[in-house]
Amino acid sequence: MIFGLGVLKGMMVTLKNFVLSYFTKERLTTVQYPEERIPEKERFRNFPFLIYDEKPEDLRCVSCDICAKECPPKCITIVRDSDEQGKPLKRPKVFDIDFSICMNCGICEEVCPFDAIFMDHEFELAEYGRFEDLNYHKDDLLKSNEYFAKIRPQDAARIDAKLREKAKLKETEIRGHNT
Amino acid sequence: MENADQIFVILKRSLMTWAGVFLPDWSLVFLSILISIGAIAVFGPVTMMYLTLLERKLVGRIQNRYGPNRVGFWGLLQPIADGIKMLTKEDIIPEKADRFAHFLAPVVIVIPALLIFSVIPFGRGMVAVDLSIGLLFFLALSSTTTIWIFVAAWGSRNKFSLLGGMRAVAQMISYEIPMVLSVVPVLIVAGSFSTVAIVEAQSGLNWFVFTPWGIAGFLIFFLTGVAEVNRTPFDLPEGESEIVAGFHTEYSGMKFALFYMAEFMNTFSISAIVATVYLGGWQGPWLPSWVWFFAKTYALIFVMMWFRGTLPRLRVDQLMGFAWKFLLPLALVNLLIAGIWTEFKTPANNIVSSLILFAALVILYWANRPEIPKKRVYRYAYADE
Amino acid sequence: MNLFDSLASASFYAVLVGVLATATLTVMVRNLFHAAIFLAFTLIGVAIVYLFLRAEFLAGIQILLYVGAIMTLVIFAIMLTSKIGDPQMPQSNRQGIPVLMALAAAGVFLVSMILKMPWNAALVIQKTDAVELGKALMGEFVLPFEIVSLVLLAAMIGAIVIARSDQ
Repeated sequence: MIFGLGVLKGMMVTLKNFVLSYFTKERLTTVQYPEERIPEKERFRNFPFLIYDEKPEDLRCVSCDICAKECPPKCITIVRDSDEQGKPLKRPKVFDIDFSICMNCGICEEVCPFDAIFMDHEFELAEYGRFEDLNYHKDDLLKSNEYFAKIRPQDAARIDAKLREKAKLKETEIRGHNT
Repeated sequence: MENADQIFVILKRSLMTWAGVFLPDWSLVFLSILISIGAIAVFGPVTMMYLTLLERKLVGRIQNRYGPNRVGFWGLLQPIADGIKMLTKEDIIPEKADRFAHFLAPVVIVIPALLIFSVIPFGRGMVAVDLSIGLLFFLALSSTTTIWIFVAAWGSRNKFSLLGGMRAVAQMISYEIPMVLSVVPVLIVAGSFSTVAIVEAQSGLNWFVFTPWGIAGFLIFFLTGVAEVNRTPFDLPEGESEIVAGFHTEYSGMKFALFYMAEFMNTFSISAIVATVYLGGWQGPWLPSWVWFFAKTYALIFVMMWFRGTLPRLRVDQLMGFAWKFLLPLALVNLLIAGIWTEFKTPANNIVSSLILFAALVILYWANRPEIPKKRVYRYAYADE
Repeated sequence: MNLFDSLASASFYAVLVGVLATATLTVMVRNLFHAAIFLAFTLIGVAIVYLFLRAEFLAGIQILLYVGAIMTLVIFAIMLTSKIGDPQMPQSNRQGIPVLMALAAAGVFLVSMILKMPWNAALVIQKTDAVELGKALMGEFVLPFEIVSLVLLAAMIGAIVIARSDQ
């Protein structure tokens, strides 16, 4: 109709936004990080970690080297453990992941046949040393199954069910062998 | 209430009597001027710093977010952090730039911005210098800002700066004319250039904005003031995403801080002058005078920042068209109806001037209607008909 | 003569020296753009001299019109004819001696005229405030006022005609 009407309507919209931002939450959607955080979604992936069941010594990884071979930028280094006579054990002695190379693709989680490596939700991983601090060793990567169930409950439930199935199958097989 | 109203005057007087005990008589004049100037020199830049914070928080709230609130409680130390950042930045001068012009422009552009503070009446009896040509002083100084923006643009030897500078000069000289013309009705009615006399002519609650010529004059003066300060929606010269940064592209560090400071001090002084001239300065019922003054000034500053949060930038031909084709005829008609209003007696003067103003507005709206092009008819595009 | 009077004369002479310095720099600087900047400073200095002579309205108008509008126009003109603003343009100073002689003659003439003129300061300082100026413009000098407005109108029409593209 007349000229200034559009301008005035627009200004009323912003005034409403300004005034109501003091009262309603959806007009002020800022999250005051780091005091408040939004929890991440379950499928969020950032950096891999190794799983252990009860104690950090019985980790599920058997150092089969598949994840190191499939990793696209080749950031995983695995050295198989061996006992006193030199016979190889089903355990890694050295398991290094270089965070400055890792591109968080999740391929290592997808190809692991033993459900030993999964993607974590941690992203506040800034360090000062560029080469020495960003190279994570086996002890830094070990996290428990309870932690896994806390951050990714559905996947943990599925993996636990599968492992229970496998254990039950092995039980019946062993019993079948014995009898 | 009398004491609260005159608290700054009483403060200054007590300071003078205390100093008069041990200082000779001839230096008391200097001391009085020094106190006023010192108050302005402290008040001006501090105001500018906190105006930047206010703008960021206000525009942030309009945009559904908090403004800066990390540095100090409520973000109150943010301007200090900004100041330190700007002081420690490297001062880069382009190689082929005109060093003299590049250096001089930000220095001289702050001078009018600070000088205008001396004629603003902050309250009853609280004006730094009661010039008999106060308003003319303000108009003259705000018109000198134009050259220095152009010197800044030219001295940077950068095509974008030059473009921004030329647009800035075109905009500022086009908007000066309605600005000066819209102040003239006030001069007719108040009878003097002095800002103190203008405020005292609007005693009690009959501010000039409540008259027919006052409303139009206030709107024209405010809009042209916003254009003179180069704020959105008229901030084509420094259009922050169009021509990099316009005339202050090549300035970094403290020089840019000086431009920024000049812009914000100009914002404050234009709001203060509009409040003085049209909204009745420090006049108002029972609150202290300086509270009224600051309330009015900050209300106008709020409207300027509200414009910034809402409106997109005007295109350069729309900008110039607005000034020459709409505001200038309206300012001339305003002058006419102000003369009529002073000559006739109430209530005839209000009715006649309102009618003339309304007729002028209708004619100007009709003359400035946007050209909507005819719907195009394509010859070959309708293949299946 | 107490402190204030001596300070007043000292500041007056300082402003005069400043105006003369910037005026000299205006004509001596090679870069035309710098010369325009110094001219702006000179005009501001002249406005300050008007303030010393108690003509405040004139000082305000001087700054508003000269520095605000005319200097902007001069700088635009310099910028648009970009060849002139180039500091590498050769300036010819080959006619030095004749120019100096002509300047000396003109200087002698001017100084002798100034010294011979019977200056007497006005006994009453005439008020040149806005009201008197307005009354004079509309009363006694209305014909020059109208002619100036016609000249401005002609200039504006001429500018529009020149700036119009050939359609």
